[in-house]
Amino acid sequence: MNDKIYQDELMHHFKYPLNKKEVQSPDFESSHLNPSCGDKVSIQGKIFENKIVDIGFSGLGCVISQAAASMLTESVKGKTVDEVLAITKENIIEMVGIKLGPNRLKCALLALQVLQDALNEFQKSKN
Amino acid sequence: MKNLKNIIADFPMLLTKPLESKQIIYFDNAATSHKPASVILAITNFYSQNYATVHRGLYEASEFATERYEQVRAMIAKFINAKNESEIIFTKGTTEGINFVAESWANNILKPGDEILLTHVEHHANLLPWQRVASRTGAVLKFITLDLKNFDMHNPESFVSKKTKLMAVTASSNVLGGIWSGSQLKNLISAAHSVGAKVLVDAAQLVAHEKIDIQDLNPDFLVFSGHKIFGPTGVGVLYINKNLHDQVEPYQLGGSMVFDVDFDKAKWAQAPHKFEAGTPPISSVIGLGAAIEYMNEKINFDDMKQHEAGLCKDLVSGLQKIKDVKIIGNVEKICESGHLVSFCVEGVHAHDLASWLGTNGVAVRAGHHCAHPLIKLLKVEALLRVSFAVYNTRQEVEEFLKLLELAIKFFKKL
Repeated sequence: MNDKIYQDELMHHFKYPLNKKEVQSPDFESSHLNPSCGDKVSIQGKIFENKIVDIGFSGLGCVISQAAASMLTESVKGKTVDEVLAITKENIIEMVGIKLGPNRLKCALLALQVLQDALNEFQKSKN
Repeated sequence: MKNLKNIIADFPMLLTKPLESKQIIYFDNAATSHKPASVILAITNFYSQNYATVHRGLYEASEFATERYEQVRAMIAKFINAKNESEIIFTKGTTEGINFVAESWANNILKPGDEILLTHVEHHANLLPWQRVASRTGAVLKFITLDLKNFDMHNPESFVSKKTKLMAVTASSNVLGGIWSGSQLKNLISAAHSVGAKVLVDAAQLVAHEKIDIQDLNPDFLVFSGHKIFGPTGVGVLYINKNLHDQVEPYQLGGSMVFDVDFDKAKWAQAPHKFEAGTPPISSVIGLGAAIEYMNEKINFDDMKQHEAGLCKDLVSGLQKIKDVKIIGNVEKICESGHLVSFCVEGVHAHDLASWLGTNGVAVRAGHHCAHPLIKLLKVEALLRVSFAVYNTRQEVEEFLKLLELAIKFFKKL
């Protein structure tokens, strides 16, 4: 069977997601729906000295969207707001570690979009 | 079913073996159908032997192209039993056909308070253009409700009122398949006409599975795409009843659609030409002609319908044996006369199943099928859709069911 898309690590993040929790009095939060497939991701977190010190997500959807949210939230802990805003599509593809067609790419990028929107809002409100 | 045997051999793409071991199983026919070799050949022959523009050139190739282009118009009129060839307008596809009527007729005719009657199951292509018309003209959108228990329509005539000026309804849903029973749609069209409303029928999902008889159904407008009936992309058909030809404005202005032009004014050509500005998609029209010829020659619609319903029946009975599968639709009707089956699997997202099946050589559709309001109404996360065409086989359904079970096991294994 050729099921390369669904590698063990990805499946593991889907079944046992990291940071799937609510963050009390968050400094930033945002939520997005991928209307073409119904994937939903919300992210919230806390910032101290311009660094992400706590982060949590909630969501519903396919393996790729939810596993990517788990991986991304884990990878940005301790990073500065600017570092997270500089994360690119390519970084996510590398992080997810699988070949994705244009239609599934949207699923993988959903969490990044939510997080960067939340941080942009955070910066705007700070200024 | 004897005369439909081995029909798959006419479709080159369906014989390819991307996995080197087996042919693809193509179950995404409601999105687009594959092309028989004769259609592909008609297009390559046109480009390599006879290519020229239509209606203008005074040389042999152009005369051939014009003759063939107009022949296809006549073939389509016959194919859907329209009275006049001039009622057949070539468009880019279903979507353009509906936008055409919205922009060139409804926008000019509708007044504040007029009602546009749709159904709950419309594809976005037959919803969004009317939302815009409503916001521009002050018309109001009304919806014939879907019975969520039987997935059909009850007493749809009761939604027609004196204020109804346009009814735009699908003949068959891209999510649920058939929603009208017997002569329900025909009767509904009569009811709309009896209050003076005009009627548009979205036949995108019907045309590949049932014979359309314009004179019997009697819509004012009817639209479909060529690529869902074994023709190329980029060409579709808009039927406009002759009585409305003066009331409908040209959709676009430019070459080919004029009778006479001065610096400050212009007079349009007669229909259908006044509705086809610019150089049309000639090769696509010629390809569509070959597709219609293919259907006329090879496909008996009654046999095809029986065949596709048989595939649905096999699929439904297999799905009913798989735990956590929920079929969305009227199962009895699907087995009797369907061409597609939508379902979801509890605990596994439809996109994941479709991706897994895709890597195993099976093409199905997953998601919201461009019908977000309906999906919200059905209260499902996302759907998996298997949609058949005449070339699909029982063996493919059997193989699909095996793979689906493996896929579900895979996603539930942890």
